[in-house]
Amino acid sequence: MEHAITPLEPLLPSALLKACADGGANRLYDVTEGERESFLPEFISGDFDSIRPEVREYYAIKGCEIISTPDQDHTDFTKCLEVLQRKIEEKDLQVDMIVTLGGLAGRFDQIMASVSTLFQAPQITSLPIIIIQEESLVYLLQPGKHKLHVDTGMEGDWCGLIPVGQPCNQVTTTGLKWNLTHQTLSFGTLVSTSNTYDGSGVVAVETDRPLLWTMAVKL
Amino acid sequence: MLKLQYFAHLLRTVNSLEKTLMLGKFEGSLKYCLVILNQPLDKCFRHLWHKALLKACADGGANRLYDVTEGERESFLPEFISGDFDSIRPEVREYYAIKGCEIISTPDQDHTDFTKCLEVLQRKIEEKDLQVDMIVTLGGLAGRFDQIMASVSTLFQAPQITSLPIIIIQEESLVYLLQPGKHKLHVDTGMEGDWCGLIPVGQPCNQVTTTGLKWNLTHQTLSFGTLVSTSNTYDGSGVVAVETDRPLLWTMAVKL
Repeated sequence: MEHAITPLEPLLPSALLKACADGGANRLYDVTEGERESFLPEFISGDFDSIRPEVREYYAIKGCEIISTPDQDHTDFTKCLEVLQRKIEEKDLQVDMIVTLGGLAGRFDQIMASVSTLFQAPQITSLPIIIIQEESLVYLLQPGKHKLHVDTGMEGDWCGLIPVGQPCNQVTTTGLKWNLTHQTLSFGTLVSTSNTYDGSGVVAVETDRPLLWTMAVKL
Repeated sequence: MLKLQYFAHLLRTVNSLEKTLMLGKFEGSLKYCLVILNQPLDKCFRHLWHKALLKACADGGANRLYDVTEGERESFLPEFISGDFDSIRPEVREYYAIKGCEIISTPDQDHTDFTKCLEVLQRKIEEKDLQVDMIVTLGGLAGRFDQIMASVSTLFQAPQITSLPIIIIQEESLVYLLQPGKHKLHVDTGMEGDWCGLIPVGQPCNQVTTTGLKWNLTHQTLSFGTLVSTSNTYDGSGVVAVETDRPLLWTMAVKL
């Protein structure tokens, strides 16, 4: 079975549900000064060691659900996805994708934690999850065949395939400038970075193990 | 003020399979080379610069050095600048060339500028017969996600290039790849930040044991999808011991 996705498609339509993970609420609060009422999330979840008290209070007063997820064995991001999946099911929403903003810069351990959440995501939700920050996007390709449509015009110059977590021993691609044919991607052997497109508008990737796709986004 | 003993303490490792690194018996005696990558340069580079035995820029790293040393550029001349030169600005390249810095083209597109810079650096260390304890790299942990991963990938390739330990620092993050075996990390310099972590980037690490952390591991598996140690911290003992069966990325906060 082949999975098809247009990674940059969500930049066009509007979100069905909006959520903040802990300190993400601070970011939203600060950047929407003067128009905060137009940017109210459905819920804010987390262990609340980052959210400022006045921010939490503001969104609570405005009717946003404040959901405490204190479990220290999982990150705020992971727990937020669990709450989101629950709400999607409760509201019986038809959803194609979860778009996450942030997570790819700042503390190195937290960047890695974001990627780790993508590995845990299939146990939480069947929906594809993309993470975007600044000009970078990441998306975890599960074992199997994938077709990535990269012809929206918002693709930047670079892309890559990163075997985070384990070697991928049988990787085959088309649509890239430097393609792979049944090759191994592995830290220490070969990691595909600074790759680019061949102009066909479609990248096909087949992998035997989870493989992280990353690309430039022109926002 | 960055104390050089910080790095000495950090890298005083005891590895049961390899030779012991005895570093930094005296404050500031750590012998290191400096590599600058193409990311905003942290202010700490000034303190690191003058005691470095060799200083090098990887391609666009030269732009960063050039811009941040305006008015005092002659005090910050690298021994060499290497790369495929698709990032360095022409006027920057010309400036450093005129000032006597070696400009070394490394066009190989199968390896990153960082990896190739390490190769050149190792060659120069051997040619000059320098005693070096460590390679300190600034940059590489922010910006384009593929390039962050490429920096980490270079650490995996490094043992084939040099036997020297390599640390990468940018802003408040430091990364260092622990090879299989036992490691002792001294984290009592006072410049350690709050957080640390162990990241099984390239493959699961099936037998990981630690002491000195708030959340220690005992013969446990670290693996993406199972358990990755992030937002960990210290138990106050000042030493973290890690034993691992596979290469494992140590990361920690640095208060620069």
